[in-house]
Amino acid sequence: MNRIEKRMEELKQNNEKAFITYITAGLPDMGRTAEIIKAQEGITDVIELGIPFSDPTADGPVIQQASYEAIQNGATLKKTFALMDELRRGGCEQPVVFMMYYNTILNYGIADFVTKCRETGVDGLIVPDLPIEEQDLLRDALKGDDTTLMIELVSPVSKDRIPGILSGARGFVYCVSSMGVTGQAADFHREVVSYLSKVKEQSHIPVMMGFGIREASDVRPMKDIIDGCIVGSYFIKIMRENGFDAKAAKEYASRFKKELNEL
Amino acid sequence: MNKKAYYGEYGGQFVSESLMNTLDEIDRAFEEAIKDPAFIKEYQYYLKQYVGRETPLYYAGRLSEKYGTKIYLKREDLNHTGAHKINNVLGQILLAKRMGKTKVIAETGAGQHGVATATGAALFNMECTVYMGSEDVKRQALNVMRMEMLGAKVVSVESGSNTLKDATNEAIRTWAKTAEDTFYIIGSAIGPYPYPKMVKEFQACISREAKKQHFEAEGRLPDVVMACVGGGSNSIGMFADFIDEKEVELIGIEAAGKGVDTEEHAASMAKGRPGVLHGTRSYLLQDEDGNIQLAHSISAGLDYPGVGPEHAYLHDTGRAKYVPITDDEAMEALMELTRLEGIIPAIESAHAVAYAFKKAKEMTKDQSMIICLSGRGDKDLNTISSYFKGEGYLN
Repeated sequence: MNRIEKRMEELKQNNEKAFITYITAGLPDMGRTAEIIKAQEGITDVIELGIPFSDPTADGPVIQQASYEAIQNGATLKKTFALMDELRRGGCEQPVVFMMYYNTILNYGIADFVTKCRETGVDGLIVPDLPIEEQDLLRDALKGDDTTLMIELVSPVSKDRIPGILSGARGFVYCVSSMGVTGQAADFHREVVSYLSKVKEQSHIPVMMGFGIREASDVRPMKDIIDGCIVGSYFIKIMRENGFDAKAAKEYASRFKKELNEL
Repeated sequence: MNKKAYYGEYGGQFVSESLMNTLDEIDRAFEEAIKDPAFIKEYQYYLKQYVGRETPLYYAGRLSEKYGTKIYLKREDLNHTGAHKINNVLGQILLAKRMGKTKVIAETGAGQHGVATATGAALFNMECTVYMGSEDVKRQALNVMRMEMLGAKVVSVESGSNTLKDATNEAIRTWAKTAEDTFYIIGSAIGPYPYPKMVKEFQACISREAKKQHFEAEGRLPDVVMACVGGGSNSIGMFADFIDEKEVELIGIEAAGKGVDTEEHAASMAKGRPGVLHGTRSYLLQDEDGNIQLAHSISAGLDYPGVGPEHAYLHDTGRAKYVPITDDEAMEALMELTRLEGIIPAIESAHAVAYAFKKAKEMTKDQSMIICLSGRGDKDLNTISSYFKGEGYLN
């Protein structure tokens, strides 16, 4: 069973909400990225690992800057695969999804990319510039093996597109809380509650909310709708403030996860 | 896959989910509009009375004599605001108005598309924000002032390389946030479908007129049609009506900067590989990890690391040929045109002129070529001056 699906099933059994953090691979270096991932094992349910790209059009200033610095420090997809390999060989069973732009996949070659994802235990892919209409090639390559899943995004203006997006979705569905890019402080779309309810009603898999979340209390208004949430830009901010100390990652994640399940 | 979004294997709609319904709305509104005689009539009215179309197809007598073939210049430099960009802006802004949008945004490199958009926004009373890389804001101060005079807000983008590519990223981000009331006016033949199609439609007036004018002058089709290619808006407009005329040779001229064998050029067809940027799949300058590389050209308007998807298709099918011209060759041609015909072209357009001189060598005196003179050179005087003083160039 896919690691994400397995974890989602466990959470459901325990009646718990999922907590997901985002970190850019290679910020400030691959060694510390590995430490930050390992420190969250058993706490954070899924790690979203950002593969840096020169032109991250779905990201706000925090992740743009993180991406830029990671590239300057030599981070690449190849090195991120090496990091995954090392983590898995070391016994890390933390579910990990890659958040990356499509050109990085095309450049690597779709078939080679999928093979490498399976070999190194990448559990899912979030590709923000690849709407369902453009997923054919990647989905064809992913077919027939559950190791790596395509994770779908839904936005507040997806409306009649929601059923089409959900029909092929696996693992969890990533609901964007606001229009635009990552990291705009808790400024959720005005219709976010009704939109999340709509997705939840139609979804056969857990519904996660992301974009602009800092503290567990930010999602209180939708706690009865969503199955979990994702913290990206703010998590990077915390890492920076603490000199990318893995202990700080662990503390933040532990507190958030506890509060999230006490809302 | 949305097949109609593709030119062969190029094009598509590589944008975030939050923009997909927006693209669909634009597509439907655009297809309706161009079949609506009232829309076309209004668009034509502004092209004629406001832009000053049709533009002349000028027979460059002295150049023709010197280079031994008939050289015609399609004078897009005579348009209001000084370049072809306004043709497309008016089409898109009328569409935006028709869709009930109240705000427009645009990206700009050299500032020509920004000025054209600010102009259209002033004319139709729309709120306008233009995204411009902070490097370009510095080197195109006059165009920044023009935009501000016209009432636009110019946002200086500090991200990545601080140039056109980053300004486009920022415009896309803003659009994804504000698409409910904001129309994104893309100036190049790039972006997600239907943008490449819209830009071609609204620039096609260039070739429609030129074809008719050439017939009036010569009683036949031209042998060669050429235009410079950055993102590819003036060239797709110049090619549009000739694509089905197989006997007409189509040539796009890319910016080779300091040379295609140096690190500093903008020749995405000569040196790039297919990839995805700014919503479309096409030829791109990228490094071994798939990160987009910086383009370099003395002409800010050609300083873009990609090219429109239809050009990629015309390239692969062999229908059009794409050739590089260096900064030095373009500047020499700029002076030649200035001295022989009294026309100071934009440095972008001078690239096409430079290749025309090479091409003329294989043509006879009875054959003819049309060069799209996409813009005038007034905006480039600082760059031209520092180039000839040997100070290098601002770009």
